[in-house]
Amino acid sequence: MNLKISALEFVQEVQNGNISAEDFVAKTLERIQSIDDKLHAFLSINEDAVNQAQEIDRKVKSGDKVGVCFGMPISIKDNMCIKNSKTTCGSKMLENFVAPYDATVIRKLKQQDAIFVGKVNLDEFAMGLTTEFSAFGPSKNPWETDHVPGGSSGGSAVSVSAFECVASLGSDTGGSVRNPASFCSVVGFKPTYGLISRYGLVSYANSIEQIGPLTRTVKDTAFMLNIISGLDSNDNTTVDNKDENYLSGIDSGIEGKKIGIIKEMLGDGVDPAVLSATKDAISKLENLGATCEEISLDMVKYSVAAYYTITATEAGSNLARYDNLRYGYDFSVEGYEFNSYITKARQNFGPEVKRRMIIGGFVPSTGHAGKYFLKALKIKSKLTREINDAFKKFDLLIAPTVPILPFKIGEKIDDPIALFLVDINTVTANLTGKPAISVPFAVSNGLPIGIQLLADSMQDKLLLRAAHALENTVKLPEVPI
Amino acid sequence: MVTEEEIQYVSKLMKIDVHDHKEYIDKVQTMINYFDILDSAGVESEEISMQEMPISHLREDKYIPFDDKLIEKLNNYKGTYVRAPKMS
Amino acid sequence: MTKIGLEIHCQLTNLESKLFCSCKANYREFQINENICPVCMGLPGSLPRLNQEAVKKGTMIAMALNCTTPDKIAFFRKNYFYPDLPKNFQITQLNIYGDTSIGGAGSIMVGDKKIRITRIQLEEDPGRLIYEGSSTKNQITLVDYNRAGTPLVEIVTEPDFENPKQVREFLNILSDLLENLAVADPSLEGAMRADANVSIEGGNKVEIKNIGSFHDLEKAVHFEITRQNSLHSRDITITQETRHWDDKRKITISSRSKEEELDYRYFLEGDIPWVKIDSEIQEKLKSKMPESISSKKERYISKYNIPSQVADVLSSDKFYSDLFDESHTENNAKEIANIITTDLMGLVDTREKLEKSKITATHLRDLADSIQSGKISRNSAKNALYEIVKTGNDLSQVISELDLGNVSDESELTGIIREIISEESQAVEQAKSNPQTINYLVGKVMQKTKGKADPKLTLDLLKKQIG
Repeated sequence: MNLKISALEFVQEVQNGNISAEDFVAKTLERIQSIDDKLHAFLSINEDAVNQAQEIDRKVKSGDKVGVCFGMPISIKDNMCIKNSKTTCGSKMLENFVAPYDATVIRKLKQQDAIFVGKVNLDEFAMGLTTEFSAFGPSKNPWETDHVPGGSSGGSAVSVSAFECVASLGSDTGGSVRNPASFCSVVGFKPTYGLISRYGLVSYANSIEQIGPLTRTVKDTAFMLNIISGLDSNDNTTVDNKDENYLSGIDSGIEGKKIGIIKEMLGDGVDPAVLSATKDAISKLENLGATCEEISLDMVKYSVAAYYTITATEAGSNLARYDNLRYGYDFSVEGYEFNSYITKARQNFGPEVKRRMIIGGFVPSTGHAGKYFLKALKIKSKLTREINDAFKKFDLLIAPTVPILPFKIGEKIDDPIALFLVDINTVTANLTGKPAISVPFAVSNGLPIGIQLLADSMQDKLLLRAAHALENTVKLPEVPI
Repeated sequence: MVTEEEIQYVSKLMKIDVHDHKEYIDKVQTMINYFDILDSAGVESEEISMQEMPISHLREDKYIPFDDKLIEKLNNYKGTYVRAPKMS
Repeated sequence: MTKIGLEIHCQLTNLESKLFCSCKANYREFQINENICPVCMGLPGSLPRLNQEAVKKGTMIAMALNCTTPDKIAFFRKNYFYPDLPKNFQITQLNIYGDTSIGGAGSIMVGDKKIRITRIQLEEDPGRLIYEGSSTKNQITLVDYNRAGTPLVEIVTEPDFENPKQVREFLNILSDLLENLAVADPSLEGAMRADANVSIEGGNKVEIKNIGSFHDLEKAVHFEITRQNSLHSRDITITQETRHWDDKRKITISSRSKEEELDYRYFLEGDIPWVKIDSEIQEKLKSKMPESISSKKERYISKYNIPSQVADVLSSDKFYSDLFDESHTENNAKEIANIITTDLMGLVDTREKLEKSKITATHLRDLADSIQSGKISRNSAKNALYEIVKTGNDLSQVISELDLGNVSDESELTGIIREIISEESQAVEQAKSNPQTINYLVGKVMQKTKGKADPKLTLDLLKKQIG
């Protein structure tokens, strides 16, 4: 059984009766069993997955209607709710939390007969870009297991990259899908804000984050997007995409498209290997008939500071509900006074979450909001104006997904500012609500490099078309695991 | 420059215990100080914009009970209450 | 001069569902924690889904209080930890980035006094805390979240009130107005709650929180003015503070200073995009608004010549004014207004009786017509009304069953009159010399017919008989 196939290939094979969903899912679980000790992508496994696959096979054989996923095994970042399953958010605070409802994306995937093989690792409450801040230990990069896989959707990227599933859902607040996709050499997509419902995604910074697929190919991402996108009455921020088909016309190329190269994302601190890969990508896009030209987005310089100010503020509020009263871990209120109980209960947050809680209390507080939070919002507005102007001139924008190569576990964990700067190329798409994708493009000394493309709001289809064109210009080595 | 006292005050506000954790305070200080860069962006005159929606986008006023006995899945006391600590 | 300002929380009790989820707005009928869902319990991953009707009703309230209504409304988070708040923040409204609260500045006349409205905001109610245990030491705090997420409007006034009487008049007007708009039932327990701020000449402002009813609000304000005056007369400084209303002892008590440390860190609620309420929608809402109380009153006076006092009583009560508007014609309007205000209102003087009452517009129309045509007397009409309210039977049925119809048969009445004349010879003589005393004889006829004799006919026949 070849597990190294794309989602679309899987669907085709099961539909045609060449493989059974049961076999594929069983083999996938065996692979998880055998290699996940080394990688630590998974936090929990769906014990019922094989039975669910059997049921799909039965439907295929008897000619019953089958959803378009045909039992496709996918992994889900552990900050999305699956009814009656644990949703830990990588935190001791929610170690025993069992979601009583399905996230909208989960409901949609269930309707299309996807199978969730398990929940995957993340930085606690998605705050991080290495998975080192998971309360349950870091995930490892399958390309070099003493390196970080990126984050916060590290478990998602690892599981797709190491063939522990055919696709995954992650969430992207400041690059949390694209960054690990780049570090693990898979496709990672953050859609236009509002394209995918966030209902059932545990909020970190709700005004800028989106759920996004991590897949082996751009076409697989388009396939997933067809299933999970669209208006949702459970999420007031969703936008109507009129049931767009993201797969149709994905092969039509990028001839005549204008691409802007974001100057501020190729400045000091970019690794030479990343720089040369980016230049290579640009020339390949030009060979396909696109014209590329440099563009400056002045506000990018301030984007990381604005990003952390906004995310900390929203996180400070979003995570306030974790007081352990209504749900949480076993810790009795007996004998405690309110403030001391809550403070003690919240000791179960990890150190990074605690730091961001404190920052999140500070930057919007009376007397400080003007200096920090309000300014951050204004930078967000100005950056959005700048990028909107850029899209008057360009169809797409390009930059490396991450300015540096994957680094060793523990290397940057104690240097918050160094970690901040890893986000410099990804936060712009979140602050401006634009769609962005990371496409695997090169491997340098055994470490992957991803190239990022951005498009204007609701131009997700064009973005996937361009990403597909770029993806086809390279043949990358297979993951060495 | 954010002071140690300010961080301690905010910690209390956020119900986060940083008592005797000098390392916390140092890191948080470093992070907040990095945000000083915001001062040089020159955005004072910028307007704040937000996503908008038409009123027709909003939920219809209809009573639809949740399909499960939710309280049974949450921490409960004597079956139906949620218990909280003493409020002094 | 004494200055009083109010913050009034009114639940929109007539809505079906909560402000941000589909649980029931009227939580009163449920067992503990049975009217909850992932959204109002703030479970991880849940998102608020704004109730369209709440926005519309909120806008109508703003219009009725003559407030400005913005073309976009925004929601904010008020962040603080409390066990009755499932998310540990409350979604509410503010005017930080321009006027984005559901109602802006407005005003309402209370007698001759203009009370300015600062702002109206739409927000969610928290859950309810219940304390068990006899002392602080063994206290157990329990939470019922059925109420969490119930739609509220908060009406904030300027400190324009000068005495508790104005406060009471304002609350009466506000209750009637909310009822007339069909947005709230002010009589439901806990539906109307308030905070007040009170200061007397030369003193600091004192906030009183936690006042659970309009009835107590007037009392609390009165108590606080008296307390402050008494301090002032003894040259004791009135400190700026927050006090709580103790509704058992009916006094205000100083709260510990803890709350002053709170920093709510208000910021925009990103899960709810700004809602556009453009002028077209506003016009539409305005046209759907029920007629205002003052316009009703004006109409009753000018069109039907109903006395001002009667029109006042009638227009300020939604149930009775609806009944009146449904039943009256140009000819019987005055009669119906009379029946409602003098008889019916006395008969169904409590909400319970009103809810049970079976009276309809048709009943009132028939009653008025029967009085005007002399079919029954006013007195009998009152008895019929009592029966109708109880049974809902047709007027004709009630009249025949209770034998309430007027005796208007000439020969029957003539017979009765002859009897009276023979019994009351002295009075007959008197009436002959002094025609005004004939009323005594009319009364006797009435007595004999149990009030059912047609009064006009009786008089005519009497005059004829006496000659």
